[in-house]
Amino acid sequence: MLGELVTKLADTPWSIALHESLYMYAITESTHVLSIMLFVGTIAMVDLRLLGISFTKVPVSQMLSKILPWTIAGFVLLVITGSMLFLAIPIRTYHSIWFRLKCTMILIAAINIAVFTFKVERDKAAWDLGPVPRKSKICAVISLSAWACVIVFGRLIAYNWFDCDSITSPTMAELTGCPLDPG
Amino acid sequence: MSLYHTAQNIEASALGQTIRESTWLFPAIESTHLLALALLGGSILIMSLSILGWGLRTPVAELYKSAHRYSNAAVIVLLITGVLLGVSEPVKLYGREAFWVKMISLSIALLVTYFVFNPLVRRGASGASMRGVTVLTIAAWLTVAMAGRWIGFS
Repeated sequence: MLGELVTKLADTPWSIALHESLYMYAITESTHVLSIMLFVGTIAMVDLRLLGISFTKVPVSQMLSKILPWTIAGFVLLVITGSMLFLAIPIRTYHSIWFRLKCTMILIAAINIAVFTFKVERDKAAWDLGPVPRKSKICAVISLSAWACVIVFGRLIAYNWFDCDSITSPTMAELTGCPLDPG
Repeated sequence: MSLYHTAQNIEASALGQTIRESTWLFPAIESTHLLALALLGGSILIMSLSILGWGLRTPVAELYKSAHRYSNAAVIVLLITGVLLGVSEPVKLYGREAFWVKMISLSIALLVTYFVFNPLVRRGASGASMRGVTVLTIAAWLTVAMAGRWIGFS
């Protein structure tokens, strides 16, 4: 079903226009990369605080209230430009193993954020400036690793090693949703 | 020997060939370059936002104690990975305008960061001129990143 949707998406004038336009695509991708500095950059600083290894004079509550709005702004930019990049090349991206891995890591990071927001940071008043608890460190490590993977997998989408036309193993065909070419 | 000749020699070097001919090396170095870019962005932004009055209220000289380690580490990794990427395709880069824009803006960004921004932050400077320096520093690094991405398009 998703496969049909991306095929329809690829036929829309929006997709064709983005794909064909040299400058619009380049500007969108550059903005996507630059937004990483804002999004992953700021979330990494928050994570380093939550690990208790840096910015220890800054209260955790202030780190969250003053820095996370910028992280969210970066995320909004990334989602807008990311959606545009997907729209420009929908079918290939949909089947890309790297794109699928990237989405999986975003999902893991999102669950981690939910756990942090609704469980871990609840009693943060107790460790606002004191030693950070283990649960905070665990969340920080998961966050740092997940977003690093998102960057790496995102960059690898550009490479065609596992594009549909070069897939020969049934496992990879399953994972990418590519038709297995008998020839 | 002309600059173009030098580029050709670097391209023919063992290191250049190894990176160019490997399937995984270039993407791996490229990804590391991007990870360091994120770290640089975060460490400079956390100080800058505070200076501009849009971030943490902790004195910026205090933030610098933690942040400068990450910006230094990021710059070192960016320079090493950047050189490795460049060594694998110097002839292509020689002909790309975006590459030269990147090298010029990189020189400016490094000079501004290490000779103006960092010393002022360490001293806890504030005021209109400090905000100006901050905006200039961010603009310089954004130009470097934008021109860097543009090398792949031009």
